[in-house]
Amino acid sequence: MTTAADTAPEISTGAHRDAAPAIELTGINVRFSMPSERIVSFKEYVLKRISGKLEHRELWALRGMDLVVQPGEFVGVVGRNGAGKSTLLKVISRVLTPTSGRVVVRGQVAPLLELGAGFHFDLTGRENVYLNASLFGYSSRVVQRHLADVIAFSELEEFIDLPIRNYSSGMLARLGFAVATMFRPDILLIDELLAVGDVGFQEKCLERIHDFRSRGTAILLVSHQVGAISGHCDRTLWIERGTLKSAGSTDEVLQRYSEGFAES
Amino acid sequence: MSIPSTPAPNQPALRQQVYDSSRRPHPAVEELQELLRFWHLVVQWSRRNIKLRYKRSILGVLWTLLEPLMLMTILTVVFSTVFRFPKQAFPFPLYILPGLLLYDFFNRSTMQIVEETVASLGLASRIYVPRSAFALATVITYLVNWAIALIPLIAIMLVLRQPLSWSLLTVPLGMFLAAVFALGVGLLVATLGVFFHDVKLTYQVLLTGWFYATPIIYPVEIVPENIQKALLLNPLLHLLALVRQPVILARVAPLENWLAALGFSFAALAAGWWVFTTRRNVFDYRS
Repeated sequence: MTTAADTAPEISTGAHRDAAPAIELTGINVRFSMPSERIVSFKEYVLKRISGKLEHRELWALRGMDLVVQPGEFVGVVGRNGAGKSTLLKVISRVLTPTSGRVVVRGQVAPLLELGAGFHFDLTGRENVYLNASLFGYSSRVVQRHLADVIAFSELEEFIDLPIRNYSSGMLARLGFAVATMFRPDILLIDELLAVGDVGFQEKCLERIHDFRSRGTAILLVSHQVGAISGHCDRTLWIERGTLKSAGSTDEVLQRYSEGFAES
Repeated sequence: MSIPSTPAPNQPALRQQVYDSSRRPHPAVEELQELLRFWHLVVQWSRRNIKLRYKRSILGVLWTLLEPLMLMTILTVVFSTVFRFPKQAFPFPLYILPGLLLYDFFNRSTMQIVEETVASLGLASRIYVPRSAFALATVITYLVNWAIALIPLIAIMLVLRQPLSWSLLTVPLGMFLAAVFALGVGLLVATLGVFFHDVKLTYQVLLTGWFYATPIIYPVEIVPENIQKALLLNPLLHLLALVRQPVILARVAPLENWLAALGFSFAALAAGWWVFTTRRNVFDYRS
């Protein structure tokens, strides 16, 4: 249960430099090979294959990507839609195996990519906590022990035994966030997700994220909005067409990014 | 406003602490390791499926008990008045019910594996989970269903004064092999089904044919001898023997049925597992 970051002295900001990097990407390439026309039936596929008419279009989602993130670092990633930001997160969360290159991820990863994954609307909030948590691999015993905290954090005490079809989208997001962050992960991946519930709750989420960071969690925040990144990230990467266009201090990179937008 | 919250504890250690893409085992091995690591997911997902099944229908559990019974009644009436099978030493309802339950299990669980696999694509492309967990949970769900349906089966045996023998204790073992077979076939069809929507439709037609190619509602003796031999290649025929013979003949199925069922089931699982796990990247690269 204890990790290196746990026993290390707590540093409020900056990286825990003494530990090994939390994320290490070396020369990551991800190549998608997509049929140039969409084939939906097996019959069509077999016919095309036999007649040699099966054509593929290659698309490099990531090309020669290198990245090192230390424990306790808060790194932003900006880029337009389709620049490869989501692919980058998928490679780190091991959903996607890179075509070539090496990924090393040390510790537990919590993806804040899809809040409330696996929620079922006919089940109660409480039942959905167990369900959602099992997708992160947590046993019901572990969940039971921390259930009170999850419910308190989501501020859904009165509604927790109602089917979630009666919940508002804000309530669903609150419950999803509370489950996804019920434990401090070593690596937190965030995709455009700081808009959860009302302003008060957003503050609380940010507080929790920064608390994680101060205890050694490495955080990667991906967004195409400059506003979401500035003010949180120690440094920022700008990805364009699967390659690193620029990297450095958040202010500098965001400045260049905004200018880049103005040009095109 | 917001209540000050206690800091979240550290994430409980799931065994694997370091993920290194250059040091991964073979996909078929890795998927198995991950499935074991995520067995809570299998448990939770099975419970969810069972809960939902009984929440949705008004009759709930009763429906699971009634459905095969109603089908059995209809088929018994049809076959005892329209067709006339040679007189057997056992009642016709008891002859068909074990087969109906087996087929119902196989049909539903394999179709549902295809559905679940397609449905979980979006989820599994965002969060890492072993995809086979959903397939396994599906099989467990329908296995529980089947087990519940054994209650009316035994009730009918009592009503019709069919002897209850110790050989009935081997029925769960036959059900287990059927589950292994269904998981294998399900994974195989699901892998193809992810890419092409006509696979599911084709498989559905195949399933109907499969029903008639299995001696569920007719005695195998009525088909010509050369076709009888061909039917021995049907895995469901052997699985059926395992779950039916203790009911109608009060004896354990012959060894050759056990060996054939064992061979077919694990061969299907090995093939399904291999195809499903080695095509994993293709799944990812699709979405």
